[in-house]
Amino acid sequence: MTEPHFTVTESGLMTPEGMYIPGEPPKGIRRIPKGVDRLGTEHLIVNMGPQHPSTHGVLHLIVELDGEEVVTVEVSIGFLHRGIEKLAESRRFDHLGTLMDRGDYVSVIHGEQAVALAVEKLMEIEVPAKAAWIRTLTAELTRLASHLVWFGTFGLDTGAMGQFLYAMRDREVLLDILEEISGQRMMFNYVRPGGVVADLPTGIESRILSFCDTFEVYLEEHDALLGGNEIFQARVKGIGVVSKETALAFGLTGANLRASGLGFDVRRDRPYDAYPELEFDIPIGTIGDSWDRYTVRMEEMRQSLRMIRQLVGGMPGGPFTAKVPKVLRPPAGEVYASVESSRGETGIHLFTDGGTTPYRMHYRAASLFTCQLFEEILPGHLFADACMLLGSFDIMLGEVDR
Amino acid sequence: MSPELASLLRILAAVGLMLMNGVILIYMLRRVLGRLHQRLGPVHVGPQGLLQTPMDVLKLLTKEDITPTNVDKALYFIAPAAVFTPSLMAYAAIPFSPTWMVTDLDTGLLYTLVVMSLVSMGLLMAGWASANKWSLIGGMRSVGQHIAYEIPLLLSVLPVVMYVGTLNLSSIVEAQSGTWLGILPQWFITNPLFWPAFIIFIVSALIKVNQTPFDMSEAESELVAGFATEYSSMKFGLFFLSEFSNSFIVSALAVTLFFGGWTLPFVPDEVLAPIAPVVFMLKVYVGIFVLMWIRGTLPRVRMDHLMQFAWKILIPAVLTWILVFGFIIKLFDLGRPVG
Amino acid sequence: MRPDVTAVDRALTSFGSKYSVCDAQVGIIVACDQSDALPILQALRDSELDFAMLLDLFGRDVDGKIEITYHLRSYSRDQELYVRCHLDHDGDLHSVWTVYPSALMPERETAELYGLTLSDHPNPKRLLTTDGVPPLLRKSVPIRTVEEVRSR
Repeated sequence: MTEPHFTVTESGLMTPEGMYIPGEPPKGIRRIPKGVDRLGTEHLIVNMGPQHPSTHGVLHLIVELDGEEVVTVEVSIGFLHRGIEKLAESRRFDHLGTLMDRGDYVSVIHGEQAVALAVEKLMEIEVPAKAAWIRTLTAELTRLASHLVWFGTFGLDTGAMGQFLYAMRDREVLLDILEEISGQRMMFNYVRPGGVVADLPTGIESRILSFCDTFEVYLEEHDALLGGNEIFQARVKGIGVVSKETALAFGLTGANLRASGLGFDVRRDRPYDAYPELEFDIPIGTIGDSWDRYTVRMEEMRQSLRMIRQLVGGMPGGPFTAKVPKVLRPPAGEVYASVESSRGETGIHLFTDGGTTPYRMHYRAASLFTCQLFEEILPGHLFADACMLLGSFDIMLGEVDR
Repeated sequence: MSPELASLLRILAAVGLMLMNGVILIYMLRRVLGRLHQRLGPVHVGPQGLLQTPMDVLKLLTKEDITPTNVDKALYFIAPAAVFTPSLMAYAAIPFSPTWMVTDLDTGLLYTLVVMSLVSMGLLMAGWASANKWSLIGGMRSVGQHIAYEIPLLLSVLPVVMYVGTLNLSSIVEAQSGTWLGILPQWFITNPLFWPAFIIFIVSALIKVNQTPFDMSEAESELVAGFATEYSSMKFGLFFLSEFSNSFIVSALAVTLFFGGWTLPFVPDEVLAPIAPVVFMLKVYVGIFVLMWIRGTLPRVRMDHLMQFAWKILIPAVLTWILVFGFIIKLFDLGRPVG
Repeated sequence: MRPDVTAVDRALTSFGSKYSVCDAQVGIIVACDQSDALPILQALRDSELDFAMLLDLFGRDVDGKIEITYHLRSYSRDQELYVRCHLDHDGDLHSVWTVYPSALMPERETAELYGLTLSDHPNPKRLLTTDGVPPLLRKSVPIRTVEEVRSR
């Protein structure tokens, strides 16, 4: 990685292999290293990861440093590749959720939901109201749990160890609630085509509501302790600005896109399950710096709490799953279903041939697109900021590698 | 007892104190951070987890000492000693009581600060010798921040020196005995004239301790473990020990300069004399607790912010304050020179 | 959600018969040659349809061909469109990263997992697997080898 990716010529770019790319590089692309500066100093190339405290899993960044400043970054992924898309071709449709759990292993319900929605769209299954509401409830609880992990690790990346443990304390309560609902602690495997696996256990409503009451207070505490800190603000404000154009060009979705000022939310704009019946606001950032990403996610947590209250209060009666055959056999076809997961838009592109297993399942992972943005956004920042930025984008390596 | 033997015993006592301090402070850090973070900390080894740190020391001592292939062997071996020795030397001039100190230096304050500043040299050695890029960045950062904050640290204690007219630490303590009008202890911290100096002292001293918010040189989430990445076994232990001993020294200096050292208000000298070291240690430990509190709460400052703060704000501020302070004490004849 | 077919036609008039548009189950699909994908995507991005984001890029092994799908989304008009092209096995995938930088990694992944070569790409290395791993997503590569199945 010592060689530059490109050399600039009169009318285009030349790769080291001699490959010629005509025309100007697109706006916002800075893939040309600054090279050796006037002092005659050398650049330092460090391998950040795959085992590094702030890469959030097994991300490997090859970082070229000029002193403390990042010059170029190459993102190297694949350390967690398990071939989920290939394995899906041998699994029955109701077993796909299990694979999706291993994709984004922190916001688990959303992956299951995407698969279930895709299969339901193909088979034209009508999901009972209660099933849709339970799905939405667990999805929002999961979003809270996932955002808490982001909050904690973001704090950890900026050096504040306390925030991580406070966030884990609250997440523990959430996981207990979700475990009681689904029977599993992390890999819930709860959402199935047609509905959910089991009804809500009795008395869970009061537990969720009492969690909401305590967490509402804790959330403001978290925000005051980290977001209200001068040091933290000095570190995130104006750092890692992703303009709307860059965000669109690199395919950012979810909170990262909203932080850049584009208010698209799958929950509102491609409504699914019980979201059309809920009242919630979609926070939008202004310039797309790390502070915007922070505030947008914090506000999302508040909105999730608001939705959870509505969901528990208005839970309809009826069956928790539609009548679906034991072995699902959707007609041949092609369908795209997407949900708003904690990292962005998680989409499932499903091809069927009339058999009991998918012909091809493509998993659109939001983190993959966020991840390739690092090559563009990290150069020019200080190394300390690079670590902080990895945290601010909230990527999940299980989803990147699939 | 011959004077040579006496001084040897005193040095040994300082070594013993430093080692004991290390063990106690690690336990204290774990429990304090545990409480701050709403978790338990060590509880299983011994009552209340008391034996956890002795066990860890044993573990460090018996672990294999790994020397990576490409290291600069000589520097790699010297570095832990170069970090540890100045930390140990800094104990020499600290007055634990009117009689308990290794040596009563007339330039005690200057000596302590100078010796402390040698630590950064060892850190750079370690960073360079490890043949590891993370270590190198960590070592460079540590030298940068230590040099930048040496100046405000030295300058921030000048008001005290100007006030009492000596660099002898025990004289500085004696100048703080007694009370203001029988209400407040006559410690310098109760005198608003010393507050700016104290704030600057604490900020610069935090850098010396290498703890969050100023732990850039071993920033765990950025540099893995900074200069200590390649060290194992007791070499790593020495870095660790030196760091804890630094926080002790910094707290002891703060207590000596601003919190009246071993003195207590309203307590007659005869009663105070036997318990003076205990009083001093208690005050020091309260100071260390505050350091740990800061460590458990704040995020890390960015390197360039830190340097800008030192050169652009802190140093001009402390220079201005020395000037103003000098005028004030000369104008109103406030100085209380000892001896 | 679905753009008007005539609007798509209008945006692509300069391409004549190099493409065809059909209204399928999943959405509007523009079919074209892979070598024409780059100009067609550029025309779609810069047209009034404003497909500013390449939401996704993936392949599929079907009928002895590799089918590449580009999933576009326009946020200003809230519409989605698919551009689809077919390649031979061991065909050449022309990168579209100069129009959509978001294609950088998905292209590498697709080329690797379908055994295609990647051209015009700034960093045409393998992404997920190491050298020697067969193109996993091809139908000819079994999910479990015979040995693996026997030893279960």
